[in-house]
Amino acid sequence: MEYLGLLNYALFMAIFIGIYALLALGLNIQWGFAGLFNAGIAGFFAVGAYTSAILTTEHADGRIGGFDMPFFVGWIGAMIAAALVAWPIGKICLRFRSDYLAIASIGIAEIIRLVVKSEAVLTNGARGISGIPRPAAEFPSMAQETAYLASQAAYLAIVVVVLVAAYLLVERQFNAPWGRMMRAIRDNEGAAKAMGKDVEFRRLQAFIFGSALMGLGGALFAHFNRSITPEAIDPMVATFLVWIMLILGGSGNNRGAILGAAVVWIIWSMSEIATDRLPTEYAIQAKYIRLFLIGLMLQLVLRFRPEGLLPEPLRGDRRAPKSGADHT
Amino acid sequence: MDFLELINFYVIPGIVLGSIYALGAVGITLVFAILRYAHLAHGDLATLGAFIALAVVTGLGVSPLVALPIAIIATAAVAVGIDKVFYEHLRERPKIVTVMASLGIALMIRAVVQVVWGVDTETYSRGIVRPENYFGLRIRDREILTVIAMIALVGGLQLFLTRSKWGKAMRAMSDNPNLALLSGIDNKKVVMLTWVIVGGLCAASGVFLGLNTELKSMMGWQMLLPMFAAAILGGVGRIEGAVLGGLVVGIAEELSVLVIPSEYKAAMAFAILLFMLLVRPTGLLKGKVL
Amino acid sequence: MKTKILALAAGLMTATALASVPAKADVKIGLLGGISGPIAAMAPAMIDAAQLAFQQVNEQGGIGDGEKLVGVVGDSACNPQNGTDAATKAVNIEGVIGVVGPHCSGAVLAAAGSVTIPAGITMITPSGTSPEISTLDDKGTVFRTVPSDDYQGRALARTLKEQGYEKVAVAYLNNDYGTGLANAFKAEFVDELSGEITQFAAHEEGKASYRSNLAELAKGGADTLVIFDYGDGTGLTILRQALENGFFDKFVGGDGMKSEAVINELGAENLATFVSSSPVGEQSESLDIFNEAFKGIGGDPDAIFATTSYDAAFLLALAVEKAGGKKEDVAAAMAEVSNGEGETIRPGEWKKAKELIAAGKAIDYKGAAGDHNFDEKGDVPGTYALWEVGANGFEVLTEMK
Repeated sequence: MEYLGLLNYALFMAIFIGIYALLALGLNIQWGFAGLFNAGIAGFFAVGAYTSAILTTEHADGRIGGFDMPFFVGWIGAMIAAALVAWPIGKICLRFRSDYLAIASIGIAEIIRLVVKSEAVLTNGARGISGIPRPAAEFPSMAQETAYLASQAAYLAIVVVVLVAAYLLVERQFNAPWGRMMRAIRDNEGAAKAMGKDVEFRRLQAFIFGSALMGLGGALFAHFNRSITPEAIDPMVATFLVWIMLILGGSGNNRGAILGAAVVWIIWSMSEIATDRLPTEYAIQAKYIRLFLIGLMLQLVLRFRPEGLLPEPLRGDRRAPKSGADHT
Repeated sequence: MDFLELINFYVIPGIVLGSIYALGAVGITLVFAILRYAHLAHGDLATLGAFIALAVVTGLGVSPLVALPIAIIATAAVAVGIDKVFYEHLRERPKIVTVMASLGIALMIRAVVQVVWGVDTETYSRGIVRPENYFGLRIRDREILTVIAMIALVGGLQLFLTRSKWGKAMRAMSDNPNLALLSGIDNKKVVMLTWVIVGGLCAASGVFLGLNTELKSMMGWQMLLPMFAAAILGGVGRIEGAVLGGLVVGIAEELSVLVIPSEYKAAMAFAILLFMLLVRPTGLLKGKVL
Repeated sequence: MKTKILALAAGLMTATALASVPAKADVKIGLLGGISGPIAAMAPAMIDAAQLAFQQVNEQGGIGDGEKLVGVVGDSACNPQNGTDAATKAVNIEGVIGVVGPHCSGAVLAAAGSVTIPAGITMITPSGTSPEISTLDDKGTVFRTVPSDDYQGRALARTLKEQGYEKVAVAYLNNDYGTGLANAFKAEFVDELSGEITQFAAHEEGKASYRSNLAELAKGGADTLVIFDYGDGTGLTILRQALENGFFDKFVGGDGMKSEAVINELGAENLATFVSSSPVGEQSESLDIFNEAFKGIGGDPDAIFATTSYDAAFLLALAVEKAGGKKEDVAAAMAEVSNGEGETIRPGEWKKAKELIAAGKAIDYKGAAGDHNFDEKGDVPGTYALWEVGANGFEVLTEMK
């Protein structure tokens, strides 16, 4: 029983890590490879989650949909919707560099959050959407405990398949000429332009591609919890946490992004278990101390490993001493 | 709607709110200009300043105004300490690393506030203060105070930056760090001075926010995004730009309920900012392009 | 450096392993709350009220054969990400038999959907007011001690009408709590009772000024402002600015506004025209008992959702006792311990309840926040009273139907 519980907890963490890894991979395309400071991850996460929710839930009064479609239609729809939302945003905002893009994208994510919260016809407003079907969740022939385990394992398998597919796709692109071109644009825009590369179009490509992955991450999250509410679009847990994962894991390195997601989520989740060791009369203070510990751990890792756990690998041109380390 | 009503209930609150934003935005723009990164712990540093003032107010039984200088000094010291312990090692690294570190600092400061002062909503003085009537203008004393203090603090800072030796050094660092270092400016001192000023401004914005509303452990974090919008709106690196940006954001938020549903009030700062970035990427006053 | 991080991870792993070794044969119940995050100011009192119930259980003979009941506190931070994480830790690492919480509806929906329903753990939330919770496919395992928004919004509308309020403006927080209450209130007040709502506007939390919102709300000429918000959050700011600027004469709040922070910060002398609704048992005797007990441990009984939290924890304890400690039977037992039939049990009467359960007799818990007779969706119909601010804090003005 004890070990079953630990196994269930591990499965749950692995599912969350997988979902966050998708978000971090998407961000890696934008920041790690194209140098785009997107601080509006939560917005694309929300678009994906809600699109999939609307497509796959049963018909509901008072809002559009649901259309009762299979979950994979919802997930593909989530990617398409996130990409469609990213397109005009990218078209307008990608001309801003770095910190300007960051504040612009934070603003857009906030506007998306307010729309999601306020437009009940679209999203059921502040109440959110529940009753989202979760694939491979029911194992009626099994006992409760094993069915629970099996449903988590099955969902983890799906998440892993999606993650591996996304990873292979992204990795292949980066090693292809496309990836070299992206890094060239990131590291020296002028030179890339002089060589006849369409810098703006390529950036837009990276932005849309990354956003689609974030949308997919949102959809996976909504189906796992069987619900999506505006509370999930909190900038702290849906944007900044992903940034921490990527920077800590190593921006520019896809495996680093996934490893970062794992390490940060493990710190995030397990720190609570550590602070629960405090005497019970401090049970509430322990939660504040936990946030302090998370902040402190972050400082330690950044202090001793500022280039990330897995730095960007040197590819091709080995004369470049530290590619990726000095863009701001 | 008559003119006085517009002034009393939309413009005056907007100016007061804008002054609080401005105090924060000036600090943000200084960090941007001299250290060249977005400091995400800014809001929580303001919370800390507000709560330090609360401790002084309740501990010594003085008015928040007397507590303000103490809070400014204490928060400035904390800001310098944070820089020495955490940010200094990351200075040669990509700036994004420091941005992430400041996010962690934000969590840590908030945790300290919550452990030390708890999470209850607090005020500097109990009860309510009705506004005075000045020829039809309804203004509370503390609102006049907020605006005057903002002007005094920012004016003093501006004088310091233009007249004093160290102020000029800071501006030189902001304009061209390499040239500034070559001409013998002590980088470490400039950075320390920047944090003293930024910490002090944070405390001031927190205290005035608390004075005009209530003190909550999340109050600074919730103000962070509009403050950033104000700093960029005004033009990065421009003190008077940050003040102007703060006032524009504050007044626009208050006026926005006249035209858009009130649940979208919070979006107003960003709508203005996006529009500004499109038509004039350097901000209202010509700032740097990062 | 990698070793360092590995060492850190290993340290945390060890902590986990330690955590999974039970200290004694304690029975654990998860207390999940939004301790960090937007409702940080409300959560501690709610957790304390639930702990009070467990303390009483342990003082009066414990659970089963005298085992101790232990509340395991988890931080759901008012969002689904942390809510599910806290729930999975409570269920899988701590091995809780039931969960009180989470506090916010979004976290309730997510934690129920991904953790407690699949794991077959009973959940009872003291403050998740969203109607979506009623429609969950939960196999009867999700309960709540706070009535769905609909009951309170409609009851408040009827009571206000009876009290002679005709023309009101409504300001509500743009979250599930505020929206739900405001819409139910509007439906009853305007459509059923033909009252007039002059302005109806949502607001975001955490802004420093709401004066322009208030000026807009005042435009229709209503003399009463109805606020659906939290009294130690934005609701306090709005009430303060409305009072200071004289936008309205009278103020009405939902249960979220009946907070000690309102009296502490604004002063009772300024709140003569402020009333708020709050759940109460049909005979308020239960509430008095709770208030005394909660004051005894230094709590403030006027804290928002303290009564529903206490009731949720006590009900769950009763259900665990009734189910004989078998977690799969807790949900069914929950419906039995408070269905309006059997000997009345009031807050703190654990010993009596334990003896009755041992004797196989039916019991009926009548709680501080109402009688809690669960319907088939795990919801309770609310009984409310309208409260005014008197010399000694909040006092009942009238019962609400």
